Amino acid sequence: MKIFITDGSPEGFFTAVFDAFNQKDATITSDTHVQLALDSEVIRVIPDAGKSGRVLRGIYNCDRYAAEEISLVLRSCDPLKEQIVFEYIKKLMQIKFPIRKRLSLSEVIRFNEISYKVTGETHRLKGLLRFMECAGGVLYAPYSPDNNITDLLMAHFAERLKSEKFVIHDLNRKIAGMYDGREWIMGYAGEADIYLSEQEKAFESLWKKYYKAVDIKERPHEKQMKRSMPVRYWKFLPEKN
Amino acid sequence: MIDEQKLEILTESAKYDVSCSSSGSKRANKPGGIGNASASGICHSFTPDGRCISLLKILMSNECIYDCEYCPNRRSADVPRARLTPDEICELVINFYKRNYIEGLFLSSAVFENPDKTMELLTETVAKLRNVYNFNGYIHLKGIPHADGAIVMKAARLADRMSYNVELPSERSLKLLAPQKTKQSLLLPMKSLDNAIEYDKQNKIRRGKVLPAGQTTQMIIGASPEPDGQILKLTEALYRNMNLKRVYYSSYVPVVQSSKLPTVGAGLLREHRLYQADWLIRFYGFDVNEICAEDENLSPDYDPKCAWALRNMHLFPLEINTAPLEMLLRVPGIGAKSAYRITEARRFAKLDFDNLAKMRIVLKRARHFITCKGKFFGSDSLAQVQTSLLLSGIKDNSEQLSMFSEPSTALSALTGEI
Repeated sequence: MKIFITDGSPEGFFTAVFDAFNQKDATITSDTHVQLALDSEVIRVIPDAGKSGRVLRGIYNCDRYAAEEISLVLRSCDPLKEQIVFEYIKKLMQIKFPIRKRLSLSEVIRFNEISYKVTGETHRLKGLLRFMECAGGVLYAPYSPDNNITDLLMAHFAERLKSEKFVIHDLNRKIAGMYDGREWIMGYAGEADIYLSEQEKAFESLWKKYYKAVDIKERPHEKQMKRSMPVRYWKFLPEKN
Repeated sequence: MIDEQKLEILTESAKYDVSCSSSGSKRANKPGGIGNASASGICHSFTPDGRCISLLKILMSNECIYDCEYCPNRRSADVPRARLTPDEICELVINFYKRNYIEGLFLSSAVFENPDKTMELLTETVAKLRNVYNFNGYIHLKGIPHADGAIVMKAARLADRMSYNVELPSERSLKLLAPQKTKQSLLLPMKSLDNAIEYDKQNKIRRGKVLPAGQTTQMIIGASPEPDGQILKLTEALYRNMNLKRVYYSSYVPVVQSSKLPTVGAGLLREHRLYQADWLIRFYGFDVNEICAEDENLSPDYDPKCAWALRNMHLFPLEINTAPLEMLLRVPGIGAKSAYRITEARRFAKLDFDNLAKMRIVLKRARHFITCKGKFFGSDSLAQVQTSLLLSGIKDNSEQLSMFSEPSTALSALTGEI
C-alpha cells in the first residue's frame, strides 16, 4: 500500500493525484499523523505545476464545473477529504462525463456530503459572523470555523460592506482576510490587538437587549435553537456571552 | 443613540409577528452604499424559543388608536408606550447591519393619530434608509389598513416585501375581535399591490421593481372557533388570488385577559400541522380538499401527508424506479429533496433499498408505500402500517421527577403513565 502525503496545498494534491493515479492501492492524505499499516510505503509529494495542470485539464475535459466543486471539498476539515476527492476524480475519469447527478454512486455520495458541509458552514457563518468596530472605524471579526472558508466569506462581505474597511480573522488557522474599501487580500495573522471604538459597547448592549426582548418566553424550544446555531459558534456571539 | 428601554418596549410589542424571512430579493449594493439582499435569506441568530433572528423586528410606535381584543398594545391596555423617530430607527439599523447582527429591517407600527399619518412616517423612514443612508439591505414593511393607496405604493417601491395581516381566519371573528379592521381594508391593498407586482412582471421591469420579495400575511390560530379545513381553504385562496409568498400561522398565546378570548393557548402541534398542510399545498401539488374537509380539523396523530396516504392505500405501493415525480412527492417520508435525488439517480441506474438508504432517504415511513425493483419491505396489513406510523410520530414525554414537580406529573408517575 502506498501512502502519498501532500503539503495540504491544492497543487500538491493534484500532483499526488497524478502520481497515484495508476498505482494500485494508493491513498492520498495531508494528515501527517496518519496511522501506518505494516506494509505501507510513504511517499512525500513535491508540488509540481506541470503535473497538477495536466490533472486539472483532464478534469476539465470530463466536467467543466468539477474543479470548482473539488476546490470546495479541499477546504474541508475532514481528514479523509483528499482520498474522497481522489476516488471521485478516478470515477470521473473512468466515466468521462459529469457524474455529480449519479447520486447512487458511493464516490459521489461521499463527495457531495463533504461539499454540503463546506457550503453549509459558509452559509451559516454569513449570518453568525460578528464584527466589532475598532477605534479607527475598521470592523474586526474573529472566528474559528471548522472548514477553511475565510476567502469565501470575504467575497460575500466585500460586496455587502462595500465602503467599510474590515478584517475577518480565522484564529485557528492563523489567517485573515483584509478589505480596505476597494479590494481584499488574504494573509497570515497570528494575534491581533484590538482597541474598540467608543460606541461599540453601547451597540453591543443594545443588541443583547434586543435579543432578550424578541424571545417569546411562553414557547421555549431550546433544542431547535441549538440545532440551528450549534454551541461551538457561541464563543464569538455577543448575545450568547 | 436610542434608549435601551424604548428598544425593549417596541421589540416586545413586535415579537408576535411571525415572519422573519429575508429571502426572495436579490437587491444589489450600490457604489458607496451599504448592504445587499441574499436570495436565499440569511439567519443571523436564534432565540431560545427556536425562532431565527434575521431582521431587526421593531415597531415604530405602540401607541394605538385601535382596540383589537387579542393585542397587548390595544388602546385600552395599560402598558408603557414609546415612539421612535425615523432617524433613530435608521441609525440603529445601519449600526446593527454593519456588525452583521441583522439582515435588514422589519418595520411595523401601531396605528397612531390616523392610518395615513402612520403609513406616511413608516414610508419616510424607509425612504430615508434607502436614499440618505444608502442602505440596500432587506426591508420588510407592514401595511397599515385604511391608509391611502398612493402612500402605500410609494412604500412598495422602496421595500422588498410588504405584508397585511389578515389576523383572523373569518370575517365574523374579525368583526368580533378586531372591530376597527375590516376584510376590505386588508384585502383591497393586498390586491392592488399584487396588481402592481403583476404589472412589473408583464412589462419585464428589472430596475426599481415593486416588492421583489412579494407579500405575506399572518393569522392567529385558536383565538376563534374556525376549523383547520376553513383556515386552509382561505390559505389556498390567498395563494391563488393574491399570489402571496407565505401565509404564517401564529398559535394563540393568552397574553390578554378578555371574555371574548379563550383562556388556553392553541398549542404548537396544531400550528405545526397547519404548516405541514401549507407546504403540501405549495410544494407537493396537493389540493386542499385532499388534505382536509372544510369543517374538519387536521389529525393530531398523523401528519397530513400520512393521513392522506392512509386514506388512499389503493394507490400504493409505488415502484421507485418508474413512479412519476408527482406521485413520489406523495409518499410519506419522501420530501422534495429526496424525490429529486431519486429521479436524478434512477436515470443512470436502477435503485434498490440499499441505494436509497445510502442516499440518505428516510425509509422509516416510506417503506410501507414503495417497492424497489419489485421488492416490498413494508408491513402488509393496514392496521400494522397505521401503528408503526403512529409510533414513529410519538415523542418521548417522560421526564425525571423532581421534589418540586407539579402534582399532576407526580400523579401520572404513580399511575405508571410516564
